[in-house]
Parts: sequence; C-alpha cells; structure tokens
Amino acid sequence: MKQADVVVVGGGPAGCAAALAAAGAGARVVLVDEQPDLGGHLRWRVAPTHGLEPDLDGQPGVRVAAALAERVAAAGVEVARGSVAWGFFEDNVVGVVEGETAYTLRAASVIVATGSTDRVLPFPGWTLPGVMTARAAQLFLHVHRVLPGRRVVVVGDGPDADEVANAFAVAGAEVVARVPGVAGLQAGGDREVEEVEVDGQSYAADTVVLTLGRLPDPELALQARVETVFDAAVGAHVPRRDEHLATSQPGVYVVGEAAGAVSVAEAMAEGRLAGLAAAGAPEADIAAAREALQGLRTATSGNRALPVVNADVPMCLCRCEEVTLAAVRQAIAEGATTLDDVKRRTRAGMGICQGIFCLPAVAALLRDEAGVPAEEIVPMTARPPARAIPLSALTMLEE
Amino acid sequence: MPADEGAVESVSGDLRVRQHPVLGDLPPTTEVTIYVDDRPIPARAGEPIAAALLAAGIRVCRTMPNRGRPRGPFCGVGRCTDCLMTVDGEPSVRTCVTPVRDGQRIVTQRGLGSWEEGTA
Repeated sequence: MKQADVVVVGGGPAGCAAALAAAGAGARVVLVDEQPDLGGHLRWRVAPTHGLEPDLDGQPGVRVAAALAERVAAAGVEVARGSVAWGFFEDNVVGVVEGETAYTLRAASVIVATGSTDRVLPFPGWTLPGVMTARAAQLFLHVHRVLPGRRVVVVGDGPDADEVANAFAVAGAEVVARVPGVAGLQAGGDREVEEVEVDGQSYAADTVVLTLGRLPDPELALQARVETVFDAAVGAHVPRRDEHLATSQPGVYVVGEAAGAVSVAEAMAEGRLAGLAAAGAPEADIAAAREALQGLRTATSGNRALPVVNADVPMCLCRCEEVTLAAVRQAIAEGATTLDDVKRRTRAGMGICQGIFCLPAVAALLRDEAGVPAEEIVPMTARPPARAIPLSALTMLEE
Repeated sequence: MPADEGAVESVSGDLRVRQHPVLGDLPPTTEVTIYVDDRPIPARAGEPIAAALLAAGIRVCRTMPNRGRPRGPFCGVGRCTDCLMTVDGEPSVRTCVTPVRDGQRIVTQRGLGSWEEGTA
C-alpha cells in the first residue's frame, strides 16, 4: 500500500488547484486522474475561460488545461495519469487501477474532485448512433479532431449549448436546429440518425448533441458513505460539506463540479481551499481561501433543475440495460418510491454506467408520478467499483 | 455476416478537422491501418478507435443483446459502453478509450459478443 498525506482524485481544475495548494503547504500529494492528460473538461473546450488569475484569464480551456498540468508537474505532485480510482475503503484507502496493474493508496485526507457527467434525458430515438453528449462531441472535435457529423441538432440552452453549437460551426459542420430541451424531440433513422423531428417539424440531420447541464458525479465520496443534501439549483443530491469543504467522513473532502460548482473559477477556488485545509496550512491562508471562494459562488447555471420527462411516448429509458420508460412507470405504479427500488425492480441503473445516464429521468418520474419530493430522492447506494475494471487487477491487491 | 450488418458508411467526405482557429492546423502524425469488419481504415497513431471510426464515417459499433438495436459512441469518456466492439478477438472493448494499433482487427459486436469473433 502506498502512503501519502493527501490523495486528490480527479485532475480537472478543482483537483489541480487542490493538489497545488496542498503541495504548496508542504504535503506529500498523489493526484490520480483517469484521463491521459490533466485538465478535466478544459481539455476539450476551446471557449475562453473567465474569472481566473490574470495570466490564465480569457484563455481557451485547452490552454488553461495545459498550464495547470505544467504547474502540477513543477510543484512536485506525484501524478498518476490514465489511472482509475475505483473504490473507497475504510481508513481512507483508495483502490487504483492503471491498465492491468492495481494498487491501493492510503492518506490522511482524500479530496474527491471527480467532476461531473453530462446530464442526459431520454427521447424517442436517443439510443441511435449519432446521438451523443456534449463532452463526447467536443472531445471528438477538439482532442481527436474529427467531426462526429455534418448536420447537427443541438439540444439545450444556456452558455454550454451556445459553446457546443459554436464549436460545430467553427469546425465546419452545419447546426440545422437548436432546441431548448427534449420535449417534442424525436430522432429517426434505420441504423443511425438520419432525421430529427422537433414539434412536428422535420430536419435532415445526422447528429444530435445533448447539452442539458452537468450532473455532479461524486461516486467515490458516496462509496465513503458521506451525508448528502439536495441542492435545488443543481437538481441533485450533493455531499454535505463544512466551511472547509470537508464531508461528514473524517478526512474526505469534495470539491468542484462533483459538489455542484458551476464555473471553473469556483471549482478552482474550492480546490484551493480544500487543498490547504487537508494539508494543515496556516489558518490565515485557509481563511483567505475561504474569503476568495465567497465571491465566486454561482447560484445556478439555469438549466439544471430536475426535468420533466415526456411520459406518454414509448422509448428506452435505461440505455445499459435496455429498460423502457413504460417499465419504470409500471414499477412506480406498483409502489417503487426510491431510485434503489426502481433499480431492483427494473434493472434501470444496474448497468455499467451505474445509473449516471438514467438517474435524472428516473428521479423526475419518482417526483412526478409517485409524488416523492425531489429532496427525498437520495442517490442509489454506491459500491465499488466506480468504473469497469479488469478482474485480474483485483488479484494483485494485498490482504 | 448478413449484408445489413457491420460497418455502414453514411456520413461521408473528409471528417477530419484539419484547420481550427484556436487549435491551429491538425499536427502531422504517423498513420496506421486498422481493419474494421475486414475493411482497412486509416487512423492517426495513438487516437482512440472510435475517433478513427467516426473519421471514416462509421458510427455503428455494436448491436444490443435484447433486440439488436444499433449503438455508437455516446459519452466519449468510457462510461456508457455503447461503443463496445470486439478488438483483436476480445469482446466488449470500449473503443472510445482504447487506442488504435497498426494492424488491429475490429469487429462490429453483436450482443455480448464472443471471444472467437475477432480471431476467426
């Protein structure tokens, strides 16, 4: 088992800021990130990033990501790239898999900075090839340099949807329609998207991009059984945190989009505060970081409230397990009142994605059809592994 | 394999983003060849399989176990498994996070696939 003072999981803006702050305060820091390069969602964004310190402010996301990676390398942080932190165990032990090898890490403090997942909602035809998330589209466009399609429908509103529509236009695709949400939306085609219908109007399109906000994804912290609280602005439960961003579990912090932060500036300020607190930095430094964060709190991104699902149209709801909307509605009619109930009765949420892509729709149905208040819809029970990992890797663990 | 199975090219033409106002020109790289349902496809060394497929206009990666519905890249980050294919004989490989390798043999996966499919 490897030891460190602080383990940071996630190498996006919040995780990098946390690692830098903790290392700056003298802690031995290991930063674990599943992507090939640090920077998180900034790696695939080309729009200007606002609210940062002067030398980074206004820079495209890709350049901010590169700058953060350089700083982390220079700060003496041990970085494990391409490494999946898949499990959280007693005494702040984190299980890590890198390719075919596995090891465990123990630290006095674990900072969970695992970011978000694109929130998606079902509509008829949404399982057809050509329908994809905003981050998939931007990864293909900006990191892999491929147009996922030529005629694109962008679903969602707000700045993220503007960013995606602009990204396609700049890369040479045609944005044939923009729609605010999935209501009245339908994709058709034989083996992939060929046409898209919006409120009865038909468009020839090959690609549909879902830009419906980002869902906090603190799965590792949920494995640690941290207490959660419903955040109405985010439309989901997030870990409950104290003034230092520590959770109800000793030594476990959650920062950035994983906890509901919206802007990059806010995520980085959170990372810095938790990094300093976890490393036991001087009280004056911690107080200054707290104050800096106060001015950056964002009330809401405007498109994250719990949605309404088009309940009367036949469609697939859980992509992994091919569970229909009708099956979930039936489970609710038969008495399911929690996400775990629905999961046990229908398998929705039991697949490889562990519910992250069907959770918003199931939660909305529980609220609208079973009358469960949104704040009472707690996350599904989280258990290791947080990602698909090779079974062979587990045989390498000691004990 | 029936004629309606396998790679379908529908989004045609050059799908590489060769110039970009922020990212600049597409940097030169080593080209490798992968074989998708026995058809040679050019790829950029180190890129994920799914990127090479999209650049070739191939968007169907697998068909689902229950009703055979097609799936293709959806999340792009290894979470959803819609892009699973059989790669060098190994079924259910996430092509969005698995890099290409020269000579790699990739098969459109039906259902859960099998260990034999890609090596036949």
